[in-house]
Parts: sequence; structure tokens; C-alpha cells
Amino acid sequence: MSAAATARGSAVAELARAFLRDRTASAGLAILALTGATALLAPVLAPFGPDEATPSLRLAPPLTPGHPLGLDHQGRDVLSRILHGAQLTLLTGLAPVIAGALVAIPLGLVAAWYERIGAVIMLAMDVLFAFPMALLAILVTSSLGPGMINLLLSLVIVLLPYNVRVVHQAAAAQKALPYVEALRACGTPVRKILFVELLPNVAPAAIVYGATVLGSIVVTAAGLSFLGLGVQPPHAEWGVMIAEGRNVVFLAPHVAALPGLALTLLVIACNLLGDGVRDALDPRTRATLGHRGDP
Amino acid sequence: MLSLALRRSFATVPVLLGVSFVVFAALHLAPGDAARTILGYGATEERVQALRAELGLDRPLLIQFGDWLWALLQGDLGRSISLGVPVSDIILDKIWASLLLMGASFALTAVFGLLFAALAGGAHRTVRDRLVTISMLVLASLPPFWLGIVLLFVFGLQLRLLPISGVGIMEESATILDIARHLVLPAVTTAASSLAVVARVTRSFFIDAMGEPYVLAARARGLSETRIVTVEAMRNVLPAFVTIAGLQIGYLFGSALFSEIVFNWPGIGLQLYQAILQRDFPVVQGCVLAIAVVFVIGNLIADLLAIALDPRRRG
Repeated sequence: MSAAATARGSAVAELARAFLRDRTASAGLAILALTGATALLAPVLAPFGPDEATPSLRLAPPLTPGHPLGLDHQGRDVLSRILHGAQLTLLTGLAPVIAGALVAIPLGLVAAWYERIGAVIMLAMDVLFAFPMALLAILVTSSLGPGMINLLLSLVIVLLPYNVRVVHQAAAAQKALPYVEALRACGTPVRKILFVELLPNVAPAAIVYGATVLGSIVVTAAGLSFLGLGVQPPHAEWGVMIAEGRNVVFLAPHVAALPGLALTLLVIACNLLGDGVRDALDPRTRATLGHRGDP
Repeated sequence: MLSLALRRSFATVPVLLGVSFVVFAALHLAPGDAARTILGYGATEERVQALRAELGLDRPLLIQFGDWLWALLQGDLGRSISLGVPVSDIILDKIWASLLLMGASFALTAVFGLLFAALAGGAHRTVRDRLVTISMLVLASLPPFWLGIVLLFVFGLQLRLLPISGVGIMEESATILDIARHLVLPAVTTAASSLAVVARVTRSFFIDAMGEPYVLAARARGLSETRIVTVEAMRNVLPAFVTIAGLQIGYLFGSALFSEIVFNWPGIGLQLYQAILQRDFPVVQGCVLAIAVVFVIGNLIADLLAIALDPRRRG
């Protein structure tokens, strides 16, 4: 057991080393960390509060003295709102990916162990698969009503079929291995086999999948807020800011353009990170998309 | 081949049944009372109860679903709360604009995805490969709702090259050229990130193919590099490419929703968005169902096409 744990530990260390050797992956991680630091330090870094308005300077362009990125339609400082907006943008993008993996792991493990329950669970997942990601998110948020908690919940549901399928596949592969048979022969309780022995061998697949899907979830989360189904104005969030800027794009294109640039940069970072994690785990699968398990 | 195609087609039936149940349940289990929503908060409790009974909302959920499904099979999707017309009419009226946008976006995704993949993967580790790879990374990361606004501003407002609103295609006098001009910006917005994802994945297929012995043999026979990439490698990349392009249909639907909204494109996506804002649930239900059904059928076609192209999977 302890030898296995050591082997597992060194496998993780090997993975981390391979990941850090990859320059693009490190760049992605660096940008992501920078965004995280910005989000945390926004109250210190931002020259103004996110809702602090100077009505006389409404829609003033970038490079206005004291407001390097200009002001929006209510006279709020765009730089300050982008810095503060990093908080909710990151939260609504990252939290569902983490929560989604945590919900999917028990479901996938149970589905792989008990084949009858598994068939029902996987049929339900197939049904959720039949919705385009953004459409399912819109269906759930429009059913639950707008707001941040409902946004997070809808994204967890959207991720469920993908996550459960990844965990189910990994767990089914493990289940066939001799060590599991040995555990069963020893009379180890199923609960212990699943959540003590199988879990550490299944978790990496869920983590890798989470990393590869991060970029599209960040976009979808901001997109739902853009549509008015997620984070609500006047909160500073990049999707909300783009939606507000859209209404004044004739007069002041910077109001929509700049938060969009920030969002694009964040998504690039997520995609670099996803590529890196995938390559570190398996250099052969350079860019295959594990989205929908092959039949 | 035929029996495989039939089996795949039949396998979509339980999925479609599940899809209609999810769509039905999502809006019936929603917090808040549909009858109350229709009548408004000023209505008395008796009137709300009467309407609930009239709409059958007081019966068990599964019975309501059965009735709804039966009506659905007869083409009856209920009536729009805000417009008062049958939902099926609204969908039939709008779906062609969405199919047009989807078709154009999918064509862009497939053609340019394959083109960029061949340009990069056929010349692995060259400057050209690097440039294409970096551009595709950026393109794949562009949020469609933002890209749409940027294109609208640059090409529609500044350069005034292209129309910025899709409503023009509904006019009687619109010619094919008019429609095509209106289609450019929404289609590019919809296709951008999917195109880049297809190019990134297919590039790796080209890199693998270029290392195969048959490519070496082709070089030894003195075939030009262009011919090797476009004919020899292409033939082996194509089945996997079709699968990857098919997987993008779902993302395209998501992006199309945003471009319909940004460009005022008179399709199902815009209709769905307006129905959500007006809390017009029958229309929301109908639109979501229509998009999901088209999606399932699109996936089926892509699946069958990939099998048809790959001799190893026939049988």
C-alpha cells in the first residue's frame, strides 16, 4: 500500500515536471495566476471602486487623465471595473468546473460499479448530451431564473454528462484490473473500494478533463451573464460589461472592447493550460478532443 | 452499412424522448406558477386556480407530459403566451433562417478548418505551422458574443462594408446576393472558434499521417509535397476530420445563438432569447426542442458520414 502510494506520488510529480517543462502550459498557468492575483488584489490595485461614477466624464475615451482605459456609460472607470470584474468572471468560470468534477466522481464510480444503475445513469447522461452546451445552460437558467447561484448550478448540470462519462470510462477500466479483484476477494466493502482505492486512480482523468474544458466554461459563463441570465448588473463581470458596452458601441467602442480583450486573454490562458495538462499526461494525444466518448 | 445506419437512427428515438422530457420538465418544475405568470400578480387566487385546472396544471406531471407528448407528435406545441399564435407556426417561420446560418457556419468551419490544418500539419515545425497554430489558438479563444460586436463595429459601422442586422433577409425583395451579404458577419462570428478547434485537432492528424510509410513511399515516387498533403495524407485524415467537424455542431449551435442576438438575425435563437425575456414558456419549450432535435439529427448525419468514409468502420 505504501509502495503504491509512493509510486502514485512520483507519478504526480512526474506529471507536474512534464507540465512545467512545457513552455506554453507554463505561460497559460502564469496568465491564469496573474488573473487570480488581480482578482484578489482588485480593491488595492484599482484606482476606483467598481460602482464609483464620475458622471461628467461619461463615455470618455481611454487615456483620459486619471482613467487610462476610459469610462463607461455611467461614468465608471473601465480599468477599475475590469480589475474587479476578474473576481466574478473567474469564480463563475472555475467554480462549476471544480464542483462539476466533485459531483461527477461519485456518479461515475457508482455507474461503473453497479451495471444496472450505471445503465440508467448513462442513459440520462446521453439525453443531456443531446443538448448543445450553451442551449442546456440557457434552458436551466431560464427555468431557475437569472442570478449567480443559478448560473453556477446550470453550468454544473451542463458539465455533468461530459464529466460522468470521463469518470465512468476511467473507473470501468480500473474495475477490470487484478488489484480490484483482489480487494473484492478479500471482502473489502464496496464503499471502501470505490472511494479509497479507485478514487485516486480515477481523479486524474477528471482533473485533466476539467483543465481542457475550462476555456469553454469561462466563455459560456460570461456568455450567460452577457445575455442577462447570469451575474446581474450593476455587478462588475466581464460578460455583463460587454453587454453594457454593446449598447454604446457607436459612441464608445472601448466600453465593450476592453473587457472582451481581457476575457479573450483569460480564455487563451485556459486553453494553453488545457493543452499543457493533456500533453503532460499523454504526449501522444496531442490535441484529440475527449468531449464525446467514441461509441 | 444500411442496417448499421438504421440501427443508429433507431437509437436516437429514446434520446429524443428523453430530450422532450427534459425540456418539458425543466419548465414545469421551475419555481413559480405558470398560471400565475400568465395572469400576473394582480390576479385573484380563484382565477389562478381556475386557469390551472383549465391548463391541466393540477394533474400529475407524468400525465401532463403524456398529453404534451401526444400533442407534440401531432405537431401541436401549444400557443405563445405573448403573441397568441401557435408555437409551431413561429418555429416554422423562423427555422429556415437558423438553418441557413448554421449551414453557412458549418461550411466555413469544415472548409477553413481543413485548409488551415493542411497548411500547418503538412509543414510541421515550419514558420507557417507556427503562425497558423498561434492564430488558431487565438481564434479558438474568442468569445462569439464579443467577436460579433467587434466585427459589427469594424465592418458594419467603420468600414460600412457589410450590413449589421439580419432582419433584411426577411424582406420580399431580398435577392440571393442580399442574403449572402447579410450572412457574412453572423456566419464568421458563429464559425470562428469551431473552425479553429477543428483546425487544431485536424492538424495533429496531418502530422501523424505525414510520418506514415505511405507518405515516404509517395516522396520516393517523386510526388510533389502539395499532392502528398492534399491527396495522399488527406485521404487518411478525412474520416477523423469528419468526426471532429461533426462534434463541433453543438458548439456551432451555441455560438449561433449569440450571433443571432448580436446581429438581430431572425432565427430560432433570437426568438428563444426574446421568449425567455418575456417568460413565454411555450415558445421557449418549442425553440429549445427544435434546436435539440436538429442537433441530434446533425450528429446522426455526421456519424453516418464518418462511417461511410472509413472502410474500417463499415460492416
